Amino acid sequence: MAIAPIVDGPSIIQSSERRIVVPTNILTGIVLAVFGYWVGEQLGNSFLLNDAQNTGVLLGYSFASIMFLVGVGFANYPLARLFGWRVTPQPAGDDHTGAWRYLNLSLDHKVIGVQYLVAMLMAMLFGGIGAMLIRTSLLVPDPPIVAPDKYLTLVSMHSVMMIFVASAAIVGPFGNFFVPLMIGTNRMAFPRLEALSFWLVPPAIVILLAAPIFGGFQTGWTGYTPLSEQADQGFDSYIVGFTLIGLALVVSGVNMLTTVIRLRAPGMTWIRLPIFVWGVFSASILGTFAAPILAAALIMQGFDRTLNTTFFISSAGGSPYLWENLFWFFGHPEVYIFILPAFGIILELLPHFARKPLWGYRTAVVGLLGVTLLSWFVWQHHLFMSGIAPALRPFFMFSTEMISIPTGIVFLVAFGTLWRARISMSVPMLFCLGFLFNFLIGGLSGVFLSDVPSDVTLHGSYFSMAHFHFTIVGGEIFAIIAAIYYWFPKMTGRMLNQTLGKIHFWWMMIAFNMAFMPLFAAGLLDMPRRVSTYAVDLQTLNDWVSIWAFILFASMLFFAFNVIWSWFFTFKVAPANPWQVRSIEWMLPTPLGRRNFEKIPVFTGSPYDYGNPGAKPVADLGGPSDLGRRGFGAEPVPS
Amino acid sequence: MNRTDRTHALRLLVAWAVLSVIGVFIALQVHLPPGDQSTQSVDETSLLDLMLVISTPVFIGVVLFILYSAFAFRQTGAVLEDGPPNHGNFRLQVAWVAITAVIVLLLAVIGISGLSNSAAATTFASSQATLGTVGSAGTASGHRLQVQVIGQQWWFTYRYPDFGGVESAHLMLPVDTNIEFHVTSTDVLHSFWAYQLGVKADANPGVDNITYVSTVNTGSFEVRCAELCGIWHGHMADPNGQVVSQADFATWIAQVQKDDVGISLPPYSPIYFPHPPVKGS
Amino acid sequence: MVVDRTPRVGGRLAIVVLGLAALLALLTGFLVTFVFHFPTTLTAQPTTVGNGVSIHLETVAAVQDAIAFPRPNDPHPDWVSYLPTTIFKVPANSVVTISIDQEDGASGLRNPYWSKAQGIIGGSFHMSYFDDNGAPQAGDFSVIDPTTLAHSFGIPDLGVFVPLQGIADAAPAGSHNEITFSFKTGKAGIFRWQCFVPCGAGSIYGNGNAMSTFGYMSGLLVVQ
Repeated sequence: MAIAPIVDGPSIIQSSERRIVVPTNILTGIVLAVFGYWVGEQLGNSFLLNDAQNTGVLLGYSFASIMFLVGVGFANYPLARLFGWRVTPQPAGDDHTGAWRYLNLSLDHKVIGVQYLVAMLMAMLFGGIGAMLIRTSLLVPDPPIVAPDKYLTLVSMHSVMMIFVASAAIVGPFGNFFVPLMIGTNRMAFPRLEALSFWLVPPAIVILLAAPIFGGFQTGWTGYTPLSEQADQGFDSYIVGFTLIGLALVVSGVNMLTTVIRLRAPGMTWIRLPIFVWGVFSASILGTFAAPILAAALIMQGFDRTLNTTFFISSAGGSPYLWENLFWFFGHPEVYIFILPAFGIILELLPHFARKPLWGYRTAVVGLLGVTLLSWFVWQHHLFMSGIAPALRPFFMFSTEMISIPTGIVFLVAFGTLWRARISMSVPMLFCLGFLFNFLIGGLSGVFLSDVPSDVTLHGSYFSMAHFHFTIVGGEIFAIIAAIYYWFPKMTGRMLNQTLGKIHFWWMMIAFNMAFMPLFAAGLLDMPRRVSTYAVDLQTLNDWVSIWAFILFASMLFFAFNVIWSWFFTFKVAPANPWQVRSIEWMLPTPLGRRNFEKIPVFTGSPYDYGNPGAKPVADLGGPSDLGRRGFGAEPVPS
Repeated sequence: MNRTDRTHALRLLVAWAVLSVIGVFIALQVHLPPGDQSTQSVDETSLLDLMLVISTPVFIGVVLFILYSAFAFRQTGAVLEDGPPNHGNFRLQVAWVAITAVIVLLLAVIGISGLSNSAAATTFASSQATLGTVGSAGTASGHRLQVQVIGQQWWFTYRYPDFGGVESAHLMLPVDTNIEFHVTSTDVLHSFWAYQLGVKADANPGVDNITYVSTVNTGSFEVRCAELCGIWHGHMADPNGQVVSQADFATWIAQVQKDDVGISLPPYSPIYFPHPPVKGS
Repeated sequence: MVVDRTPRVGGRLAIVVLGLAALLALLTGFLVTFVFHFPTTLTAQPTTVGNGVSIHLETVAAVQDAIAFPRPNDPHPDWVSYLPTTIFKVPANSVVTISIDQEDGASGLRNPYWSKAQGIIGGSFHMSYFDDNGAPQAGDFSVIDPTTLAHSFGIPDLGVFVPLQGIADAAPAGSHNEITFSFKTGKAGIFRWQCFVPCGAGSIYGNGNAMSTFGYMSGLLVVQ
């Protein structure tokens, strides 16, 4: 719907002078959320649909989330429009300066990027604490240090929290912050949706952390029925929290796709698009189309728990296979939502630090899009042992193995870029090389799991657990940390301490491999996943893993120290282009102004054009100024 | 390709060849599970061995490349300088894709042939999983020993329909026998994993999941649950599974038949929907 | 907005320290109240005969109805439970005699196989119970009707399984069935025991809540 500008220029809508004057910020959000929970719980319990009182908790969480968003200020604009009052297109948060604006609804993509970064680092800390408790409990086989039901709750909360982090920790902070900069626009296509995709995350984290209040849940992140239907109200946290993250993925995916398709500045052709934007773009395709399936399936679980439907209960006509298929039809694209933007980061950083053009740019794009396409056709490899559709196994085996072709392309592009480069061995580059090593192990172990006969032995064991930790922690988390070291100066105006960064890299790299490599052996020695106890002769191995896991966690605390110290306790503004690289975000001043570009830039060259003395600069920042009317980076208008 | 390219490539190639030979030699010494208690486990072991042997040179090549570039291709001077402006090499890209495609095809062919090989029919064309209805007991199963695996929270029990449907809390199998497992569950999902036998199949309520094993060596094996099934999932492990001689098996099954007298077991059925059907009272 | 300015470290340091302290307090609360909450251990008492030990237990339909071992302040007063606790310490290579006051009504088994006693000395257990007319009875049993089970006591790793018959409807109020059995412990180790009767009322297949929470219908046998 086309909306005429109301604030500037002639107004075609006769709007009242009344405005919403109640302040909206995170505090009002929390107050309203508590109230919303109370209302929802009262309402749900009054239905008396189910003696396990899931209705009250589910409605409580849902109302709390909605009221939180209202309290943060998402209702102001629609309500004002509804009543015909005078509206300001920008929410109050953007009037603030300093730290307070990060605790308000803001439509500035740079603010949202920083909000996301902090939220994700906090969530990673919570998930990491869960991992430490798990490893503490596994120091001895029996009696467990943590009781087995509490242990499984810890496993479930660690996994779901880390899934939250992994799904949003690249597209959220770096996608929101840098995609508009890289394509030369002042804003995202739908700034309000962008803000929504962030503000759905804090309630999701809090709701997940509330699970122990109701006894926790023992299902792992897969939430397989009927085990999940057996769980107490703790499992309602999984349903609502995961649904909120699913919504955030959809909202952010739609927004990213539209932004990249519609808001590229002049000269930013598809084949000039930075490879990081391609990574975010392909992940957004998956997020947009996969996450609704998750949300739908979760709502069905909610119905089973409250309305006594039996979608997933075989003794009453349903089927657990339905959940398994719906979950993994989302779940396998989901893991590529994790790794595609990570590929984007690695391939973005490699040329800048190798000081060579990205080798085989078009092939790299084909590789990313190939993974995007193939990821829809592999989900049943999680179900090889489940007993469904044995005739389809060869197909899913083949499609799974096919994924190593586009993944191989990513490695080829990385190698081509490194070949005879002039590598500047700074901290982000170290993490990129660490990524390549860890992801190689993750990828090769994935091939072992993809063939049905070998999967018979490895499925559901610590081998598969080690496999996905190598791809997600060794892969995605390493890419995220590389991105933090690389982009932190532009995001916050402060350089992270590089000496501490180098110590952090070696500390984390060694601890990670020492902690997770032995888990392949544990899996081959028949230790299944998610067990609160294990064979007595595996104790030495498990103690070794636990101790290195503690060391790994300490390395992350060391990193957190570096972030806090450099951000808040060093008072030197970072140079505008500390890495001396070509990409457009580094052509802009540090700190960035409220508007990214005073004039819409015209892109004239590739960001990776190193070694070419005659290379044109990436963009002309003094481009024609009348492009605002054509939609390029105009001030945020109501979306 | 100029001379510098060739020098680097040659060095890498020689180092890779030498290290790969050493690596493959070491990889061949590794004993991989699940062992040789059944034809299935023999197949799985050899497939795992093959994958280890194929992936070792790949692993060595990539790691070598990363380390070599980290040392040979780094900035040396005080001033940042750029590398050569190479934008890609089409033939190399095609060759790379072709090579990975060949490896993938090879693995897929090996996997599929392993699946369709009747001697190793672990999982392919074997399962008779049904949704919510009584499954068929299989057509060509007359010459196989039928064993039903019942998962429940939190222990597996086993019924032998060929011997009057008697039930036991431990799994005992005769050697040199083709066995047909019918895996089902009375409550949540479990996964029947007989580690040394190389068998894994999910136990679903209301589903008869069929898998095969052919025992070739006597010995004990461990049964574990491999699908998260609740609080005692980690303890749902029985190290006392046994493959015994046919005579010992006959003695044992007779003893079980005697022990089970007096238990009012339900008639043998591929699936069970016991009381309470949904909510406990 | 970030600008160069004179460092004012004090305020920021205070925020960081306070934030960390708050996080630490939250974490400690979580750990103590949720994660490291563990039932107490009951050490078996030596018996007068032989080298045996004995344990006296009670099974109830709801914790709040306990007679022999009341457990006030339980977070789930309406759940079924073994009382007083579910972690037992017994010596290795000895005879353990367990007597259970069974006060709960029958639920029936999902797998009738568990209605037979296994792995206990003599192959049978002694039970004093009430018949359908409410008259007290007693006898030795090795197998009972699977529909009459209220609970069971099973240690799968030791092969010990004992069915516990539900109290008859006609039995006097406040009465219980008393089941006594003995088994031998071998070498030291820690073994899980559980009830195999789906007695978690209100949850799917009866295996939720009390069945899925440590300290109610399952526990550990520590053999030392």
